[in-house]
Amino acid sequence: MNEPARQPASREHGVERLAEIARDLRRDVIRLVAATGQGYVQQGLGAADLFATLYFAELRLDTADMDWEDRDRFILSTAHNTAVFYATLAARGLVSADAVANYCQDGSAFEINASERVGACVEATCGSLGQGLSVGIGMALSARRRSSTRRVYVLLGDGELQEGQVWEAAMMAATQKLENLCLIVDLNRMQVEGDVADVAAIDPVGDKWRAFGWSVQEVDGNDVTALLGAFEQARSVRNRPSCIIANTLVGRGVPELEGIMAHNLRLPPDVAAAALAALD
Amino acid sequence: MQDSKDTELKVGDFNVRSRTPAARLYGTALLEAARQDSRIVCLTADLTLPTETDLIRDELPDRFIQVGIAEANMIGIAGGMARSGDIPFVHSFCVFATRRCYDQIAMQVAYPRLPVKIVGVIPGLSTMLGVSHQATDDIALMRSLPNMTVIEPSEPGQLPSAVQAALDVNGPVYLRLKRAEGSQSTGEARSLIPCKMDVRREGKDGLLVACGMMVPIAIEASDRLAQEGLRVGVVEMATVKPIDPALLDLARKAPVIVTAENHSIIGGLGSAVAELLAESDVKVRFDRVGVRDTFAEGGTTKFLFERYGLDAAHLAERFTRLHARQPKY
Repeated sequence: MNEPARQPASREHGVERLAEIARDLRRDVIRLVAATGQGYVQQGLGAADLFATLYFAELRLDTADMDWEDRDRFILSTAHNTAVFYATLAARGLVSADAVANYCQDGSAFEINASERVGACVEATCGSLGQGLSVGIGMALSARRRSSTRRVYVLLGDGELQEGQVWEAAMMAATQKLENLCLIVDLNRMQVEGDVADVAAIDPVGDKWRAFGWSVQEVDGNDVTALLGAFEQARSVRNRPSCIIANTLVGRGVPELEGIMAHNLRLPPDVAAAALAALD
Repeated sequence: MQDSKDTELKVGDFNVRSRTPAARLYGTALLEAARQDSRIVCLTADLTLPTETDLIRDELPDRFIQVGIAEANMIGIAGGMARSGDIPFVHSFCVFATRRCYDQIAMQVAYPRLPVKIVGVIPGLSTMLGVSHQATDDIALMRSLPNMTVIEPSEPGQLPSAVQAALDVNGPVYLRLKRAEGSQSTGEARSLIPCKMDVRREGKDGLLVACGMMVPIAIEASDRLAQEGLRVGVVEMATVKPIDPALLDLARKAPVIVTAENHSIIGGLGSAVAELLAESDVKVRFDRVGVRDTFAEGGTTKFLFERYGLDAAHLAERFTRLHARQPKY
C-alpha cells in the first residue's frame, strides 16, 4: 500500500479533551434545534461522543483541503442527524460556524437532511435510508483498486437496518473482504414510530453482522475511551469489513432528556435553557 | 449412478441459447473502451453472460465486480466508485436496472450527476420471460430524472458507437440495448451521435419518429406507405432525452407525425415528441404507436409486436389514418 501523500491535521487523542468536545457539540445541538424548532435533538445528543471521536481522533482529513484524494471518507447514512453533524463540521473547521447558524433557514445549504450542497465534506447525499453502506462499498473498492490507504466509514442508524439494501451491502462487503470499510451502527433503539424492537425487531444486531461475515465489536457509544479502542481495533482487522455497534443513549448529557424516545422532540425556550445549563 | 454429463443443466444453459453464436458487439466495444480508459469499471448483477460482460471479467478481472442479485446495492456501489474517479458501467435487464433501483439511481447517480452508465438489455416486449422481465416504463422513469441522458440504439451495428456515446456524455446515462441475436445480421457499422436525431429517410408526406427496435420497423412501414404513394420520412431519435429540437424544422415541412416505440406511450419517446411539439409553434397531426397503457405477457418478439400493435403493418395503417384526417387547426 502506498503511504498517503500528506499527513492529516493533527488528531486529538486525549480522552478528556474529546469528552469536552462532545459536550460542546451537545450544546450546539440544543442551540441549533431550539432556534428553529427543526432538527433532531435526542439523536444528536446521543451521538455526540461518536462524532467527536470520529472527527477529532479517527478520520484522516486535511482540514485545509477536503478534496485531498487520500482522505478518509465518512458517510452519514442517517442524513437527518444533522444538528450534531453540522456542529462537528464547524468545530473541526470544515464549514463556517456562521453558515451553520443558518440551519434550516430557507435558502441555506444546511438543511435537515445533509446534502452535498454543504460542500465536499458531505461525501454522498443520503437521507433516503439504507443507501449509505452501498456507496461506502463503492468507495472502498475504488480505494483498494488504487492501492490507497484511505479508509471508509459509514454511520447507519439501527432503525435503518430494516431497509433490505443494507443486507445486500452486508453480504457484498464481506464477499469482497473490504478491510478498509468500517461501519458504525448508532444503536439508539429509536425510530419514528418508537422503540425499534416494537416496530420491526433487529436484535440480536451483533450476531447478524457476525453471521454476515463481519468483524464485530459492541461498545458503549457514549464512552470515548471505548470508541477509541474500537476504531483502533477495527483498523487492524484483515480480510473482513468491520462493524462497530455503538450503544448510545438518546438525549445523553441532559438528565431530563436521557432515554426519552422522541424522534422529533421540540425544544421550547425553557427546556432549551435548562438543557444548556445541564451541559455547562 | 447414471452419468449426468449429457443431462446436467449448467449455468451456461440459461445464458447461451441454442442459436448460432452472436457477435458480441456491446461487450467487445466495452472491453475495447476499458482497455483505453483505466477509469472504466464494470458491474453486473448475476447477469454476466447476457450482458456480454464476461469479456471484461476474463481479460480485466480487476475491473469487473460481480454484485449478485442486488441491483439497489449495485447502483449505490457505482455511485461510490464514480465519486472516487471511476466510470462505472452497471448491467442488468432493462426492467431491473431501472425500476428495481429507482430511488438509488435518483439519489446516488442522477442528483450528484455522476458518470455512471446504466446499461439495460431486453427492452420492451422483446422477451419470452414474461411480464416481470418486460421493461415498458423504463424510459419514462429514466427520462423524468434530472441530469439523466437516455439513449437507445436501433441496430447491432450501432452498439460500439453507443458505448462511445455514453462515454461522451459527461454525466449519467441510461443505455437501453437490444443485443445482437445469433440469427441476426450485425449490419454495417453506424454512428450514434448523442443528442442528435438521425434522418434515416426523407419524406414530404410526413414522418415516423422512432427509437430502438422500432427504427427498422418504421423503415419497413415507410416502404409499405411508399406502395400507397406516400413518401414518409423516418427519423431515428436514439437520444430520447434530451430530445433534439431540430425535429421541429422537419415537422414544419411534413406536419404529419407518428412516433413509434417499444415502450409505453406514456412517458417515452411519444410523450417526449408530443411535449416538444405542443410547446412549439408547429401545427401537426400527431399520433403515437407503442404499448398502450397495459402490461403484456411473454412471447416471441414477432408475436408480441403484432399483438400489441408494434408491427410495420399497424404502424403504416396508423400513419395512413392520420394522414387522411383533416387538420383540426
